[in-house]
Parts: sequence; C-alpha cells; structure tokens
Amino acid sequence: MTKRKKWTVIPGLFTVAATAVLLSAYSGASSPQGRSPKQPLPFPHPVHVQTLGMNCLYCHFAAFKSPDPGMPAVGTCMGCHTVVREQRPALNGRLARKSEGIATLIRYADKKQPVPWIRIHKVPDYVNFPHMRHVNAGVTCQTCHGQIQAMAQVYQAQSLNMGWCVTCHVERKARYDCSVCHY
Amino acid sequence: MSEQPESTGVRRREFLKILGATGAATATLGCGTGDVERLIPYLIHPDQTVPGVSSYYATTCRECSNACGVIAEVRDGRTIKLEGNPDHPLNRGALCARGQAALQGLYNPDRYRGPMVRQGGRLVPTTWDQAMQLLVQRIGEARAGGRAANALFLNRHETGSFAAFLDSWLSAMGMPPALSLDVLAQTAVMEANRQSYGIAWPSLDFGAARLIVSFGADFLDDWGATIPQQLDFADARAKLATAPRMIYIGPRRSLTGLNADEWIACKPGAELAIARALQSGAKAGGGDKASVEQAAQQSGVPAAQLQRLAAEIAASKPSLLLAGARTANASELALTINSLNQSLGNVGATVKPTSPITSFDGTTPAAELLAAVERMRSGQVPITFVRGVNPAFTIPRAVDFAGAFARVPFKVAFSSYPDETSEMCDLVLPDHHPLESWGDATPVPGTIGLQQPTMEPVFNTRQTADVLLLAARSGGVAVGAGATTTWRDLFISRIPGGAAALTAALPRGLMPGSLQGAPSRRPAVAPAPTPSPLPPPTESAPGDFYLVVYPSSVLGDGSGANKPWLQELPDPVTKIAWQTWVEIHPLTAARLGIESGDLIRVSGPGGKAVEVPAYVYLGIRQDTVAMAFGRGHSAYGRYAKDVGVNPLDLFASGTDARVAGGGGGGGFAWTQGRVSLAKSDGYMHLATTEGSARQHGRGIGRALTALAGGTMREAAGGEHGEEVAPTGEKGAQTARPGKASAEQAGAETMPGDASHDFLPGLRSPLAADAQGDVASGIERKEGGMYSSQHWSGMAKRRWAMTIDLARCTGCSACVTACYAENNIPTTGAPYQSTAGLSRSATPGHTGLPGSNIVRGREMAWIRLERYYEGGEDGTSSFDTRFVPMLCQHCGNAPCEPVCPVYATYHSPDGLNVQVYNRCVGTRYCSNNCPYKVRYFNWFGYGEPHRAQYAWPEPLHWQLNPDVTVRGKGVMEKCTFCVQRIREAEHRAKAEGRTLVPDEFTVACAQACPSRAITFGDAADAGWTVAQLAQDARAYHVFEELNTYTAVVYLKKVNHPALGPDAEAVGGGT
Repeated sequence: MTKRKKWTVIPGLFTVAATAVLLSAYSGASSPQGRSPKQPLPFPHPVHVQTLGMNCLYCHFAAFKSPDPGMPAVGTCMGCHTVVREQRPALNGRLARKSEGIATLIRYADKKQPVPWIRIHKVPDYVNFPHMRHVNAGVTCQTCHGQIQAMAQVYQAQSLNMGWCVTCHVERKARYDCSVCHY
Repeated sequence: MSEQPESTGVRRREFLKILGATGAATATLGCGTGDVERLIPYLIHPDQTVPGVSSYYATTCRECSNACGVIAEVRDGRTIKLEGNPDHPLNRGALCARGQAALQGLYNPDRYRGPMVRQGGRLVPTTWDQAMQLLVQRIGEARAGGRAANALFLNRHETGSFAAFLDSWLSAMGMPPALSLDVLAQTAVMEANRQSYGIAWPSLDFGAARLIVSFGADFLDDWGATIPQQLDFADARAKLATAPRMIYIGPRRSLTGLNADEWIACKPGAELAIARALQSGAKAGGGDKASVEQAAQQSGVPAAQLQRLAAEIAASKPSLLLAGARTANASELALTINSLNQSLGNVGATVKPTSPITSFDGTTPAAELLAAVERMRSGQVPITFVRGVNPAFTIPRAVDFAGAFARVPFKVAFSSYPDETSEMCDLVLPDHHPLESWGDATPVPGTIGLQQPTMEPVFNTRQTADVLLLAARSGGVAVGAGATTTWRDLFISRIPGGAAALTAALPRGLMPGSLQGAPSRRPAVAPAPTPSPLPPPTESAPGDFYLVVYPSSVLGDGSGANKPWLQELPDPVTKIAWQTWVEIHPLTAARLGIESGDLIRVSGPGGKAVEVPAYVYLGIRQDTVAMAFGRGHSAYGRYAKDVGVNPLDLFASGTDARVAGGGGGGGFAWTQGRVSLAKSDGYMHLATTEGSARQHGRGIGRALTALAGGTMREAAGGEHGEEVAPTGEKGAQTARPGKASAEQAGAETMPGDASHDFLPGLRSPLAADAQGDVASGIERKEGGMYSSQHWSGMAKRRWAMTIDLARCTGCSACVTACYAENNIPTTGAPYQSTAGLSRSATPGHTGLPGSNIVRGREMAWIRLERYYEGGEDGTSSFDTRFVPMLCQHCGNAPCEPVCPVYATYHSPDGLNVQVYNRCVGTRYCSNNCPYKVRYFNWFGYGEPHRAQYAWPEPLHWQLNPDVTVRGKGVMEKCTFCVQRIREAEHRAKAEGRTLVPDEFTVACAQACPSRAITFGDAADAGWTVAQLAQDARAYHVFEELNTYTAVVYLKKVNHPALGPDAEAVGGGT
C-alpha cells in the first residue's frame, strides 16, 4: 500500500525539486557567456590593438558620445586597407603571406556591401545600456567585454546578467533603480 | 508488504521519462541563442551623424493645406517622430494628430512600392523605364492629336514652387493649369474674404476679442488655419476670468462647439437667418424686433435667446464673428458675417487682413472640379493626371466621378496609396512622400517654409516633379530654366539666394522672402451672390431629419483613414474609433426607441441608404442627425478598406450636392439633405473608449464660473460646490489655509486631511513613505535611494505634470504624440480582430474593425475623457469638460502594493515605474487603479509572427528605439516619457551640469496645440510646473483616495452670459 502511494506522491516532490533546480540553472544558463561565433571575416583585435596600437575609439567612435558605440563602416576599414592589401610582406620575422581576412574585406568593399557581423554582446530589448555613460565614468571596455584586445576571435567574456550589472552599480555607487535601465 | 502491480499513479519509469524530457526541453530553451542577430555597419559613414543619436531635420507638413513647419527626428537613417517647428509662424512648435501621423503614411504597408501599369485589367508592377516610356508615348499621342488642351491635372492643393512649376510644365505641354484641390477648404469664406478684404484668409486675434461667435465655423476641427487658431484660442482662454466668452451657432455641437460657453442650436442653414437678423439689428441701432422674430421662426431658436445674443454682441466690443457652415448658403453667410465684423469695428481689432495667412491661396472651387468631371464624362478629356487627391471618395457618389473618370482613355496617378481613384488609373507613378521630397510652402507672406527630404525613399518611388521633367525632356519639350535637369536644381534656382541661402536656411526650415517668379494664380472668378430668399434650402427636401455631414477632425478629408493611429484615435466628440455612427438627440432616440449601438438605416432622398450604429448625442438638434465624413473607403489599404461608411453616398443626385451660392465660393454643400431613419434589426457594439459621459459627482473634470468683476466660483461637477477660489497665484494662500495653520500649530498633517491641503503629494515624504523608508523615520544604515541624502540624488526630484483644463480643447493631439513616442500598438484594425479565438467573444464580431476596443483592449496611455455637465433634460445648455487622463504617478499608488512580483514600484524620482521584464501579467495593478490608466497586452501586438502584430513592414521603421516594444501578457502605462528624462540626464551629465529647468518636456506636452500640459520637476521651483502646481485652480483627481498624484489639473473656467437672465442660459452653472 505504501509503495503505491510512494510513486504518486514522490514524483510530485521530485517535480517541484527538479523545477526549482532547473529554474535556478536556467537563470544562470540563459546567459550566452563564452559564446564565440565565427564571424564573416576573422577580424583580429590583437593585431589592430596590441600590435598596431589603435585606440578602441578609432573604430567604435561613438562609444563615448552615444548609447550605441558604433560598428566601423566598411569605408573606415578601407581607409587603411586600401593600402594594406591582402598580400602581407614579411615583417617582424613573419613570412610573407596572403591574408584571407583582408581579401574577404576587400571583396565586400568592392561589392559595396557592409560586413554582416554576428552580434555577440547583446542585452535584451527591455534594457537600455548607454555606452557613453559608462565610458565617461571610467568603466573600461574590458570591464564588460573582457580582454577584447587579445581576442583573436571575439567571445562574450561576462554573463551580462542583471545581477552582474547591479553588483558593479552598487560597488561603483551608480544608480541602480529599475527605471535607470528598464523602460 | 506486497508489491502492488496495478498502481494508479505515475510509474517510476514514466516519471523518469517525463523528468528527462522536461529537463532536456528546459536546457534547450535556456541555452538556445535563437536567431543570429547581425550588426550591419554603414558602407560609408555619413558625416555628422552618430549611431544611436538622433538628427533633426526641419521640413514642412503636407497633411493638409496649412503646411505647418515640422522637425523630423531621424535615428540611424529612419524618421521616427515629427514635432512642430517652434520657429514656424503658423504652428509655433505644436502639431496636430494628423500631422504626426504623416509618419504612418511614409511607412504605410499599403503604399505603392514602385510604378504600376494596368495590364489585363489589373495593376501590375513595372519598371520606371517602361512606365516613363508609356507616359511619354501617351502624352505625345494626346499632343499630336491636338487634344492636349483638354487634359486634366487634379493636384493636391499646396502653395509654393511645385504648383508654379506644374503650371509651367502643363502650359509647355499645351495643357490647361492644374486644379488645386482641397475638399476641406472653406472656399465660401475665402471668396467672401477676397471680396471684403482682398485676401483669402486673415489672421484672427482671439485674445483681443471679448466675445467669440462662431456661425458653424469649426475653427478647432478643420476650419482654416486650425493649429494657429487653437494656439491663440487657448491663449485667450488662459486669461481666465477676463477671457473671451464664446458662443457657437449651429445644428450640431462640434469639437469647437463643445468648447463654447453657449450653444445656440439653430436649424441647418439657418445660421444665415440669425446673421441677417443681427445685421439688420445693428443697422437699426439696437435690435430689430421683427427680424429677430423672423430669424427665430426660421432657425428654431427662441427669440429671447437671439435677442440676448444681439444685445451681447452690441455690448461686447471688440468681438470676433466667424462664418463656416458647410451649407448651400455658405457664401452669403460668410459675406454677411464679414460685413457684421466690419460694422462692429472688429476688422483690424480681431480680424486682421493686414497679416494674412496664404496657405489656402489658389484652391480650386468645387464648381470647377464638377465642371471638369462633366468634361470627362463627355469623353473630351484624353488624359487625366491625379496627384495626392482622391476625388472618387471625396466627391458625393451621386456625381458619379468614377463613371466619368472611367471614360478617360488614359489616367495617370502620382498617388502614394492604392485609393479609390488611383486604383482606376492606367499608370501609377508613385510620388515620394512629402518627408522624402524637396519643396516649399508659403504659409504667410514674406516667409518661405522649406521642405527637405528627411530620409532616403522607403520605396522605389520618384518625386513627381522629376518624373514630369524627365517626361518633358524625353518628349522634347523645354521646361524650366535652361539646363536644369532635376527638380532639386530647379527648386534651388527658385530660392532667393540660391544654394548658399538654402543651405543656411534649412536648419531652421524657414527663410524670409518670396520665391523667384512666384505664381500669380488666377483668383476664382466670382460673381457677387444675389441674396436668395431666406428659408433654409433643406426645408423642401423629403425626409424626417436634417442631415449634417461634417469632416472628421481626426481623419480630415478621409486621407487619414489609412493611418492606424488616426483610426484608433477616438473622435474627440463621440469617443468612437474605427466606426461610422449617426448622432441622434437623446429625446429623439427615446421617441424612436433607439439606443446607442442600435443599427439604424439612414435613407437619403433617392433611396440611397447606409446602415450605421446610432450614437445618442446631446449636442445635436432634435430634428437633425449627423454623420462624420472620412471613413467608408472601398480601397485605400488594410486600415481603411471597409471600415465605416461614407455619408456622402447618401446624397441622391448631383444637383443635391449643389454648389454654394450658385458660383459664390463654390464649395461642396455637405449640409443640405434630409434623411429618414429606420431602426433595423441588429446591434453593433460601439468601439468607444468611454465608460460614462457623466462624472456622477466624482469631480474628475472641475470648472470655475467666471463672475463679474474678475472673480470665479466653483461650477457644478466639482465636489466642493461652495468653495470660492479667487483668481491667480496671488490667492493661492487664501485658498489653502489648512496647511499654513497646521504647520504653525506644529500639528502633524495626516494624509486624510487632504481637502485642506490640496497638493501634499508633490513635495511631501509620502512618496517615500510608500516605500516605508523615510517618513517612518527608519533611515537604513546605508541610506535608501529614497532618502534625499542618498548619493544617487534621485530622490531630490519629483517629476510632475500640470494640465490646464482652461486651455485644453480636447483635440487629442497628445494621444497621437504618445502613440508615436512610446511605441503603443494600435489594436482595432480588422485583421487584428480576434473574434472566434475567445469563447467569450460576442458573436458577429469576426473581422470587425475596432472589436478589440469594444472589449476594452485599447492601449492608449493617455486618454482624453470628455464629460458633460447639465443638459440631463435634453436642453442645449450643457457644459463639456475635457480631461486628459494618464497615469497619475501617485505618491501612494494603489497599483504598487498589489503586485505580487514587484513589477510596479515607485522610483525615487517620483515615477510610478512599470518594469516589463518583471511583469507576469496578473493584472492586479490594473484592477486596483482608480484612474483606469493601465493597459494590458492581451496579444502579441509587438511580435511580428502574431496575427495581431501592430506594425507590419515597414510600419515598424517608425518605432522609437529608446522604448521597449512590449510583449504579450505584459502590463503597460504612461511612463512620463522616462526615456526623455534619462536622455536629458545623459546630456546634462555629458556636459557636466545638472538639468536646467524646462530644458526638455514629454511628448504629449510637446505636441499640445493648446499648451495645456506642462511637465517638469515639482521639487525644483525653477521649473514652470512647480509654479503652476501652486495655482489656485489646482486640484488632484480622486484626492480623497490619498493617492497623492503627480498630475495636477487646473480647473476649467466657464464664461456664462453676464446679465439679468444670465443664470437661465449660461453654460455650466
């Protein structure tokens, strides 16, 4: 008799417990942290930032004055790559080679098509993240984007979950009222 | 213990299977990244734009003839919002609902996406090359056949370069000048003005008048330069006790009529009889008893009321008399009123011909259009061009425009939308939308209003001027100056100062001067009207009731019907959306056994009939019924087709739609027939946003009555009937004795004592008390955000709003502004109808427009409530209160404590915040809101794959990127435009300063053409709103509920007739 009851009641308890576990796992797992999709062309941040010493704001020029940091126009890329073509000479101990990435870029430019980058860092539509407020407050790019200057292929370094945002807001004494970001 | 093999419960294996499947599903859902989102950069970055930051372009609105100045907000290449240009001499920063909805014309999903040609009886897409070839060929044939002189160009009326260019193009082609059409133009009044003053439209000074008398002139609906008139009228009314009194004379109280202090309900067409009686009375020098008696008989108005009117006009100088009835004797009425204004000394004082408005110069009278229709019918016309007008809809059906038009062998439409006329055409060459075009307008003499493209064309369209230039060049005809090949070059060559001057002037959208070679359009030839015998011409017509057809103040000439914002905007008078109704007086309705919503068969003289629901309306004569014009399209896209009916279908014959004054002004006489009513079987739920037209003593819209000597007294409808409130801020202290004395005594102010202290919410700690932090004295160690000492500083502000009901005219421009700013979905389109999906749906609702509104599912965050005071017995003396109702952002909000998930809460800066991502849709908050200003997303209006999607491609291009598009099952409401607050804070922070008082405002306040709404920080005395909230007229709605609202209303002021018998007739007392 007890056995019969056991398998009618215990599943209920199991279900509740499992739901709780799954929900809590869900809230963590819902972040695409670590996602690193293959981009239409391999843009190497290390070469541009670390080797050549380019400032982030050269390409993402609106990051300090707009909610949207801006993706560089193909024309911006071609500003350099009209000269820096796909045939790379031997330099700094590297052999001369052909850069497939630059070749792809030039093909896009010749076809007058923008590069369809795959978006990696995204907060939901109901979150307003004004880049300029963060940049001007001294929050470095790396705080949210990780060691992006060293990423040969960009990945999402942080979870970008709300708890992660709020922790920083509280620590840095930034406003953390809901309506600061959610509207 | 024995095994029980037959267990009724879930077995272990099954359970594990279920558990596994659930877990897998959750894991998949949780980890799935969904669609890959792309970041598409520019190819070449445009100069001077920053992604995510708006650019602003000054241009000209072309939704009606007025041509107001607008500033288009453009974000990342898409125009997302239109606001009035503060520098423009006409609209001075305001913009009406129709003007704002121009965006939904630009992004209309039913717009022609490219040129179309008729093949096998259908319009099929073609290329511009082929279309141009056909156009050139057919023009060439007409010219070769020597029939070009009979060609016809029906153009939307607009002032400026294009009209002049068009006429020069037509003359180069050997064609007659274009007909410049505006079906709403008051041609009778304009013709009278030309005779009296030599100009078409004088500016009117409402503020200088002591008495405004409107003879059917709906100057707040569609009569003349509506926006400047509304601005001036509201300014005049803001003088409170010394403001001009207003009397409205007409068979139906329009929106303008509802703003009047007194309504003289005369028979249709009898405005003239009253005007003549006044004229002869003025001549006789103090009342002509016999003519008043005669006018009383003809107009159905008591002689005493007319006598008093005459006396009042004689006593109140200067006054402002306006004529505007759309009757067959409109020209005579306008001339009579002009001469009355002259004899009363109003010309120069309130009527100012020296500063004319030129927007309407050059409109073609309807008589000329009717003659052109007859030419088409006779088969003389070889080719007809139509641009921006829809005569197949706006001309009474009895004229049979369609039949005549069909006889034209080649018909070309330059229209943007598949309307009734363009659908009949053989070739469609869609014009750019005005927001994609170059052009100009001449709103007032000496000023050029500039029109520039605000974005790249949405579709494969071409500006008509360029098409015409190309056609001329291909046909070997020289048009324009020398080598100019594009309209833009030609346009620039006409601008005084050329390209440099244009570049300098474009940021403001205006430049002084007049155009090179400005057109001297011939004034309409007008023989002086012969005075006709007086009985209203409708008297002899058969039928039981006079029919008044009036243009909808929201949809205009019907061109607004394909814009869902305008269809969804409740009519300012009846509060009905998406439907056509017939207005019937309550006593008449009771006599006939009719109730609102009963289907009524309205039959015209020739047996033509339409079936519409009844709307029982106090503001109409008992012997008259009224219907709005604007709906009832048989084409014109998904939002207009088969929505409502067209009352012009009722007119029996062409002769019935007679032209006013027999060649006077020559406008259509819309009020000219009689109809009979029959109750038919059936009932249609009215798609109305109104619960009750009465306040039931709730004191929502309160008013003061102006008394002699500049004092005011509480009018009926308020709760404190005996309260005496002196005028102005000076009296504020005496009106609020409670607070001062209580503070002096050191007594604690209890929330329940609100009636003595009518503004506690704005600065009291009550807002914080709702959070239990500050007022309770429990300062948490780290200091809550609600503490004014908190480092975030948010609690230092209290965002608040005042709404001045003395200014508000109920025009509803704020509602559309809110839709545009806050991504509010429209829910009433036929395709969004959900009947059949729900078992509780009323039968017979399938596909009906407005069925979501019938079920109370409208989403308008700001609702314009309209209440009547008085007139319960069916008399004409009732007062109307317009109350814009939006989230009151209560300091002690009933919605907040009932939310089980804290999705709504009070922010430290005084906002009642709705957090969409927390909301689970219990709707407890809406249930607990005494103001009923919370709206629930019953369907996925914002989700493209849902049937109820409110923004079909490319309508969603308009969406404001700063505001979340809400999903299904989420509650939403007014946010006080929090995105604008945050944007201003960002800007201030970037510039290293704090907010400057009045540096920004919310969308509704920005648009308001009455300047009734003021927004700001009530905690900072520098903001205007902080001062206005202290006004003696201020009150909170439902103050007794201790909600401590942040929206403060200022009482309306009524102006009853001052005199011995004033109490008997004065409105609202």
